[in-house]
Amino acid sequence: MTTEGAVDVEQSVGEGSRLRTVGGHAVLIVLSVVCVFPIYWLYATSLRAPGDVYSLSVLPWPLSLEHYADAFAKADILRMLINTTIVAVLTALGQLLVGLLAAYAFAGWKFRFQKLLYLMFVGTWLVPFQVTMMPNYVLLSRLDLLNTLAGVIVPTLCSALGVLMLRQHLLGFPKELLEAARMDGRSSWGILWTVVVPTLRPVLAALGILLAITAWNEYFWPALVLQRSNDVVQLGLRSFMGTEGNDWGPLMATAGLTCLPVFLLYMVLQRHIVNAFVRSGLK
Amino acid sequence: MVAGLLVESPAGEGVARPRSAAAVPPARAVWWRRALRAAPPYLYLTPAVILLVVWTYRPLAQTVQLSFHSWNLLPTSPIREVGFANYERLLDAPDLGASLWQTLVVILGMLPFTLVIPVLVGLLSRRVRGRAGAVYRALVFAPMLVAPVAGAAVWQWLLDPSAGIVDKVIGSPVNWLHEAGTAQIAIIVITGWHIVGFAVLVVSAGLTGINPDYVAAAGVDGASRAQATRWITLPLLSPTMAFLVLMTVLLSAQWTFPLIDTLTQGGPAGATTNIYYLLWDYGFHSYDAGLGAAAGVLFFVGFVVLASGLVLLSDRLSHHDD
Repeated sequence: MTTEGAVDVEQSVGEGSRLRTVGGHAVLIVLSVVCVFPIYWLYATSLRAPGDVYSLSVLPWPLSLEHYADAFAKADILRMLINTTIVAVLTALGQLLVGLLAAYAFAGWKFRFQKLLYLMFVGTWLVPFQVTMMPNYVLLSRLDLLNTLAGVIVPTLCSALGVLMLRQHLLGFPKELLEAARMDGRSSWGILWTVVVPTLRPVLAALGILLAITAWNEYFWPALVLQRSNDVVQLGLRSFMGTEGNDWGPLMATAGLTCLPVFLLYMVLQRHIVNAFVRSGLK
Repeated sequence: MVAGLLVESPAGEGVARPRSAAAVPPARAVWWRRALRAAPPYLYLTPAVILLVVWTYRPLAQTVQLSFHSWNLLPTSPIREVGFANYERLLDAPDLGASLWQTLVVILGMLPFTLVIPVLVGLLSRRVRGRAGAVYRALVFAPMLVAPVAGAAVWQWLLDPSAGIVDKVIGSPVNWLHEAGTAQIAIIVITGWHIVGFAVLVVSAGLTGINPDYVAAAGVDGASRAQATRWITLPLLSPTMAFLVLMTVLLSAQWTFPLIDTLTQGGPAGATTNIYYLLWDYGFHSYDAGLGAAAGVLFFVGFVVLASGLVLLSDRLSHHDD
């Protein structure tokens, strides 16, 4: 029952345990290859010379950027990337702000209808998007927000996930800090910005990145709002996908560009991004 | 429950609130002050609640209302009240049953990717830690970050019947996405590819949370490794597994939507039309708002029943490590 017992067990099966470790590596290597191969093939195809697109050689050689040039010539990809960045950043910032204020209320006070209001947030998970899309579409068209980026951003500004995760963190917030700030005679608004936000900065950053990546990859809502235009990369990419006779090189180049910002972010902040996603799943 | 943390700290007021003034207050001032004291949480909640009401609960109510009307979504055309006609039409048409069946197929088809493979991989690779473990984690998680449309594009290329690498490797030109038998399989595999790494990480997080002393103790008592896994590790992992099942049931069909919309458009011959795609189709392809709304209402009710059932079930089945 103690660590000593654990050590005994380890030693008695020393040979078997080494085998097991090797087996573990093997399983993970196979899974990693399966997971990464499509991504690798995407970039490999996009970097082949136009004549080599159908080649099955694993290494794309000679390298060529021609498909990228082609993609840029066919569509205004730069503008799409900028638009998508605007949508992702504003959505994430808005969701963080709205979520932080709501979570602050839930964690900091006891008030009437608290349970009911909390259930309102949890309940959004039970309302599938497809059930609300028609009335929302009609409202957007009345507000003249169809085919605008604002129409993509505004309806998504309240993220129940953000509220619930921030509330969880705020409930674990050191009470002494708040107590001290209150003794200083600061208002709750002041405490939020001078005590809570600076302390929660890593949490806010991780959640912000999660929300921004989600917004960047979002397809359903932009497809509905921006019906006739292809203002964000996901839709631009869709317009590249013909039903038959695809031009695979430029298509892969566009798909590669669509994913590139997220992957760059991932390379820099790998651990934080994985943790944010897994934790969002566990809570 | 740390609620009430800031209870005594209404906005704009410090500790210097004069007690004596409250002793003989005029009635109106008391009312006003009490309102002010109670206001802050509601004020902080206002933006979020307004957004929820406008973009989630108002449309939900309107969908219910719309399901009793006939309308083609054009602002200029009239909206007629039709009673339960939409529901009757819905239940008479074969679409609904077929799409529910396809939804079930998707959910069952997803379970290997969200539960079976992750648990197996998690158990087999418990000993892999450190730098190598971090690299594997980074790699298997990557597909989760690929935008669904980009995933659809690359898989369309991999599965292309004339030039795709999959058919070249197996040596026969299967038209995966345009044959009724294989299209649904392809959609499930692509969705599974997106999500499997995430599920593996959730399982390994769950496994790390289990106290190793339990298994060690069982070993001391003479239990074999397989017995320890079956009777100790798996039961302790059951909350994680319950979460994964819940996630699969509630979200599988949702995840497939961008793939279906870009790759098969619900075809061939409706073979990949699940309930989510049907709702989209009624509303925005057939412009039959009433029928779409009726399907949405039925679907929402079913969803609530299913979700509450699953939550109750998982509460009952889960063993907790106390």
